[in-house]
Amino acid sequence: MTLLSSTRKTVLASIILGLFLVYGLKLFQMQIVFNSKFENKSTDNSIKAIEQMPLRGVLYDRNFRLLVDNVPSYTVRITPYEYDTTKNSMLESLLQLPKDTISRILLKHKKYGKYQPVRIKKGATFQEIGWLEENSERFPGVDYIIEIKRGYTNIFGASHVLGYLKETNDNDLKKDSFYTLGDNIGMNGIEKSYETYLRGEKGYNYILVNASRKKIARFKEGNADKPSIKGKDLVLSLDSAAQLTAEKVMHGRSGAIVAIEPSSGEILAFSSSPGYDLSKFSDITPADYMRELVTNPLKPQFNRATMSTHSPGSTFKVLVALCALELGVLNENSTIYCPGSFTYGNRTFKCHGAHGATTVYRALEGSCNVFFYKLIFEIGVDRLNEFAKKFRIGTKTGIDLLEESKGLIPSSQYYEKIYGKGWPKGILVSVGIGQGEVSMTPLQLALMTALVANNGKSFVPHLVKGYLDEKRNFVPFRFEEINTGVNENNVRIIKKGMWLVVNGGGGTAKNIRSTDVVIAGKTGTVQNIHGRNHSLFVGFAPYDDPKIAVAVLFENAGYGADVAAPVAEEVILAYLRSSGVIKLKEKEDKPKKPSKSADSTQLVTNIENGD
Amino acid sequence: MKLGGKISGRFDFLIFGAVIILLTFGLLAIYSSTQNVTQVRNNFEKQIVALVLSIIIFVVIYNLPSTLIRTAIPWAYGLSIFLLIAVLIFGKTIGGAKAWISLGPLNLQPAEFSKIATLLALASFLEEKGNDIEDIKVILKYLAIGLFPVALIMLEPDLGSSLVYFGMILTLLFWRGISAFGLFVVLAPPLVMISSLFGVWYIAGAFAVVIAFLFVFKKNIFITTALLGVNFASAFFVKYFFNILSPHQKKRILTFVDPNSDPLGAGYNAIQAQIAIGSGGLWGKGFMSGSQTQLQFIPELWSDFIFCVVGEEFGFFGTIAVISLFVLIFLRILKIASETKSDFFSLVVVGILSIFVIHFAINIGMVIGIVPVIGIPLPFVSYGGSSLLSNFIMLGIVFNISKSRHAIN
Repeated sequence: MTLLSSTRKTVLASIILGLFLVYGLKLFQMQIVFNSKFENKSTDNSIKAIEQMPLRGVLYDRNFRLLVDNVPSYTVRITPYEYDTTKNSMLESLLQLPKDTISRILLKHKKYGKYQPVRIKKGATFQEIGWLEENSERFPGVDYIIEIKRGYTNIFGASHVLGYLKETNDNDLKKDSFYTLGDNIGMNGIEKSYETYLRGEKGYNYILVNASRKKIARFKEGNADKPSIKGKDLVLSLDSAAQLTAEKVMHGRSGAIVAIEPSSGEILAFSSSPGYDLSKFSDITPADYMRELVTNPLKPQFNRATMSTHSPGSTFKVLVALCALELGVLNENSTIYCPGSFTYGNRTFKCHGAHGATTVYRALEGSCNVFFYKLIFEIGVDRLNEFAKKFRIGTKTGIDLLEESKGLIPSSQYYEKIYGKGWPKGILVSVGIGQGEVSMTPLQLALMTALVANNGKSFVPHLVKGYLDEKRNFVPFRFEEINTGVNENNVRIIKKGMWLVVNGGGGTAKNIRSTDVVIAGKTGTVQNIHGRNHSLFVGFAPYDDPKIAVAVLFENAGYGADVAAPVAEEVILAYLRSSGVIKLKEKEDKPKKPSKSADSTQLVTNIENGD
Repeated sequence: MKLGGKISGRFDFLIFGAVIILLTFGLLAIYSSTQNVTQVRNNFEKQIVALVLSIIIFVVIYNLPSTLIRTAIPWAYGLSIFLLIAVLIFGKTIGGAKAWISLGPLNLQPAEFSKIATLLALASFLEEKGNDIEDIKVILKYLAIGLFPVALIMLEPDLGSSLVYFGMILTLLFWRGISAFGLFVVLAPPLVMISSLFGVWYIAGAFAVVIAFLFVFKKNIFITTALLGVNFASAFFVKYFFNILSPHQKKRILTFVDPNSDPLGAGYNAIQAQIAIGSGGLWGKGFMSGSQTQLQFIPELWSDFIFCVVGEEFGFFGTIAVISLFVLIFLRILKIASETKSDFFSLVVVGILSIFVIHFAINIGMVIGIVPVIGIPLPFVSYGGSSLLSNFIMLGIVFNISKSRHAIN
C-alpha cells in the first residue's frame, strides 16, 4: 500500500499496546492491590447471616419444679417497603388492634429502614393467623413468625422475683451489641439480673443470596452455621411451699415477707404485696392493665421487700442488744432499771410498764423500751452505725436483684448534717427502739435475723442457687460470705432472748408458740403517722438448728404479735414441713431453760404499746 | 482452490491458536455462569452449535477466491441496510433494544453483519481512483455510506454497535492516509460531543483545543468559521442525541460521569462487575466457584459481562491471559494489514482490526470501570451466535487475505 507509512502502523500498534497497558494495570490494581477490599464486598454481598434466636433459659424452684417456661407465640410483622399503608385500618380491625396502632409503630421504627420487619402484634391468635394466611395476597409485606414467649406455670406469683421481658429500646441496642431490633431483654427481677445467663448465645445460619436477596442455597451446606446455644436454666432458691404460703397470707394486704436459709443465704420465700400478673407481660401488655398498675395507689410494681424502708421498731432491739454485748457495755447478767418511763432533758418516754431491774433476756422478752433507751447512750450512735454495717444495714445487702435500698442507721455525721453541730442527743432515744431515723428494708430484717440465727455468719442473700449445665447437672453459683465477727456466746444470749419472746411467759409473741417446732423471734410495731401501725416480726426456727429465718412486714396492719407473728409462723411451718424438718424433729425441741425466765415475766399485759 | 504446503504455510496458526484459547475461556465462563440459571442452562450447548457453524463458515470463507469478496460488496451492503430497516419494523426487543430478527429458534442481530458489509463498502469507496480524501465532498460521501447504517442502528437503539462504526470509519480514513487536518475535521465534532456530556468546563476545554488547532492549521476564514460552527452544533446535538438514547443508556452514561450517583440503579452492574473481578485475586476463586458469578449478581453475565467470570474464577492470571491473547491477535492482524499489498484488502483487514479492537476496548473497559456501561460483546468470549458468526466471518476474511497478501490484487 503506497500511502501507508510506517508511522500509521506505529500509531495503531501504540493504541493497542496502550490499551493493554492501561487495562493490565487497572486489572493489577483491582485484583492484586485492592483484592481484599473487593473480596470483603463480595462476601458481604453474597453471604447473609440469618440470626437464630437461642431459647431463653427457664427457671426452676429449689426442688426443680418448673416456674417459668418458653412457649411458642405468633407475632405478626410488617416489612415497610412492601407494605401498603392504606390497609392500616383494615388490618387493625382484623388483628383487634386499637386504631392508628400500626402507623404509630411504623413511625417509631422508621429510622431502622424499610427493609427491617416491624412487629405489630405479638401473641396473635390462631384464627388471626389463619385469616392472614388466606389473605396474604391482599396484604403484601405482612407476615408472621413463631416466636418464643414466657409461659408461667403459676405455682405461685413471685412477680417481683421473676420479673418480665420487654422489647429492647434504642438504649439497650446501643449498650450491648448482642441485641438486634425486636429482641427481648429482661426488664426486672431475675429476668434482668441474670439476663446474661438466661439469654444464651445467638446462632447464625449462613445462606447464599442472589442479587435480589433471594435465598439460593445454604453456605457450605450449612457446615459453617453456628447453632444457637440455649440460655442457662436457673435454679432458684425459692421453696414453692414457703413462697405459696407467703403469698397466700399476704393476699389483700400490702407488705413483704422474706425468708432466708441462715446457713446459706438462700432466699426461701420472697413476697412483696400487692404483686402483679406476669402473664400479662408476655405479649404486648394491654394498655388498661398497664394503666391500672400505674394508677393503683399501692403501687403493685414496687418491690417492697428490697425497696421499701421502714422503721424496724422493736425488732431492731435484737441488733442493739447484740451490739451492746459485743461492745462490752452489757453482759448476760447486767441489769438496767426500768421504772416505767425514761426522762431525757425535759421529755419523758414511756415503757409498757415498770420492768424493774431488767436483764437483756427480759428486755427482749418483754420488749422493754427503757432498757434500750438507756442502752443506746452507752453504745453511742456511731458505734451502732458501724456495727449495723456488718449486718449490711445502712448499705446494700448485695442481693441478686438489681434494685435495692440501703436503709439508714444514723451517725453523728448524719445528725450534724441534718441538725447542725449541736444536735440534740435526745433524738437518740428513739434509735434505741428502732424508731426515729432508723430504717431498714424487709430484706435487711431477714438478713439480720438469719445472721443472728446462724451465729453471725451467712452468705449474701440470693434468689438463684445455680444453673443446670448441658448435661442437666446442677452447678451452684458462689456467693460472698458475710461474717459479722460477733462473739458466738453473745449471739447465743440474743437467741435465747428471742426464744423467750415466743416461748417465755412474758413473751410478746407467745401466741405463736408451736407444738411442732420451737420458734424464736422478735415482734415490732411501728407507729405510722399516716394511718394504722405497721406490724413486724422477725424470727427463726428450729431454735437449736435454724433452717429458716423470716422477716414479715405488714403495712397499716396493727400490732406485730397479732398480725405479723402468726404469718411468720405459717411460713416457717410451711417450709419446715415441705423440707421434712418438722417430721424428723417432732417435739424434740423443748426449751432448755424455761424456768429461769418464766417467773419474772407476767408484766406485760398490754404488750403492744411501744412494741 | 489449491491446498498445499504454500497455502498452509500462510495459515496463521498464532492467531488461530490464540482464538481457540479465547474460545475455551469463553466456553468455560459461559458454562459456569449459566449452569445455575434454569432459563439459560442450554446456552452452553447453543454456543457450541454456533461455534461449529461459525468454524464451517470460517473454513468456507478462508477457501473462497479473494476476488469474490469485491463482487459481493453492493449486495452485502444493500442486504444489510434492508435488514437494519427490517429489524426496526419486525425486530424483537431484548434488553431494551430492538436489535434482533427472530428466525424460529434463531435470533439474528443484523448490526453484527452489516458492519462487515459497511466495512467492505467503505474500503471499496476509498480505493476508487479519483477519490481524494482531502476533498470535503469525498469525505461527505464517505461519511454518508458509513453513517447511514449507524443512523438505523441508533434507532434500535444500540449505542455499542454505533461506536464500533464510528471507530471503524475513522480508522479507515486514518489508514488511507488522511492528513492531520482531515483527521481533525472528522474527529473534532464527536470529541466535542463526548466532552459536552461532562459539563460546561469540559466543553470549554474542548473548544479551546479546537480553536488552538484551527490556529495551527491556518486555513482560510471561511473554512475556519465553518469548522467552528460544526463543532458548536455538535455540542448542541448532544441534547438531541441524548433523547435518542434509551432511558437505561442515558442513565448509564450519567452514572459513568458520576459513578456514585446511583449505586443500586444504573451503577449497579458496574459496581458488581468490579467486585467480581477485584475479588478474583491472583488465581481466582476457581471454576464454578465465584460467588458473584454463581449467585447471579450481574444480570446477563454470560453475554456482555463475561469477562467478570474470567476475572472472578480465573483471577489476574486469567484476565491477563485473555487481554494478552487479544493484543497478540491484534498485532498479528496489524502486521497482515501492513503487509497486504492491495489497498482494498489492506483497508479491509485494518477495518476488521478496528472492529475487534473497539469491541475489546469498550467491553473490557466497561467491565473494569474505565468506560461507561455500554452493551457490546467481547469477541470470541461472550455468549451470542450472531456475534460469534460475524467474528468468524471477519477472521475468515483476514485469513483469506493473509494467504495472498503479497499479491497486488
